Amino acid sequence: MSRSIWKGPFVDGYLLKKAEVASQAKRSEVIKTWSRRSTILPQFVGLTFGVYNGHKHVPVNVTEDMIGHKFGEFSPTRTFHGHAADKKSKRG
Amino acid sequence: MSDEVLVGVFGAPHGVRGELRVKSYTQDPLSLADYDGLHDGAGRPVEITAARLLKDDLLVVRVKGVSDRDAAQALTHTKLFIPREKLPPTEEDEFYTRDLIGLRAETPEGELIGTIVAVPNYGAGDILEIAPPAGDTLLYPFTHAVVPTVDIKGGRVIVVPPAETE
Repeated sequence: MSRSIWKGPFVDGYLLKKAEVASQAKRSEVIKTWSRRSTILPQFVGLTFGVYNGHKHVPVNVTEDMIGHKFGEFSPTRTFHGHAADKKSKRG
Repeated sequence: MSDEVLVGVFGAPHGVRGELRVKSYTQDPLSLADYDGLHDGAGRPVEITAARLLKDDLLVVRVKGVSDRDAAQALTHTKLFIPREKLPPTEEDEFYTRDLIGLRAETPEGELIGTIVAVPNYGAGDILEIAPPAGDTLLYPFTHAVVPTVDIKGGRVIVVPPAETE
């Protein structure tokens, strides 16, 4: 069963406060967080979070497409690098 | 073999008519069959005449000169390479991951941070994974602000480590 709409999206309060401070400062900084359960809100767009995966903080650049997802979805706890072959990386 | 790109590996034979499976390492699995200059580890040319997607990154291919299961079986575990120069040119601010791996990461002052060992992307932008001379690897977002300079010919990238707030 999905979450009731009347509750609104869940976000840890301290993360919301940190994001507000960072967006006002307008500096390029990584907001370290352990809150993988928090929902990505529209006001997080453009910020970079370091989402803990149990081992280290994985940088997550928040874009519009990610709104509504949870932070943990972008910081896998198990990784497989695979082969580079012809794979390309784009500088954001 | 440093200028050779590993693009796939032959798997088990598929059926009795000489088809066999290939695990493709390319971004688009089917593009493996489109590359010119495909060859095995010994430099023998390999020509794929037909390819279809089986699932995920697994293809079923027909190879020129292979018409029965025994001949296909002989190719199992053979690695497939293409010359580096066969890769198409990239766009601006786009880099082949294999070109980035192995580059030195330095601060703007020239101090060594480490060596790039991987460039993962978990759905939130590319990330540089840098192995310092000692200790655990470091993760930095691959953005203009953090990585202002990428000098592939010079073998280095300049990294401005971002401030972190807890």
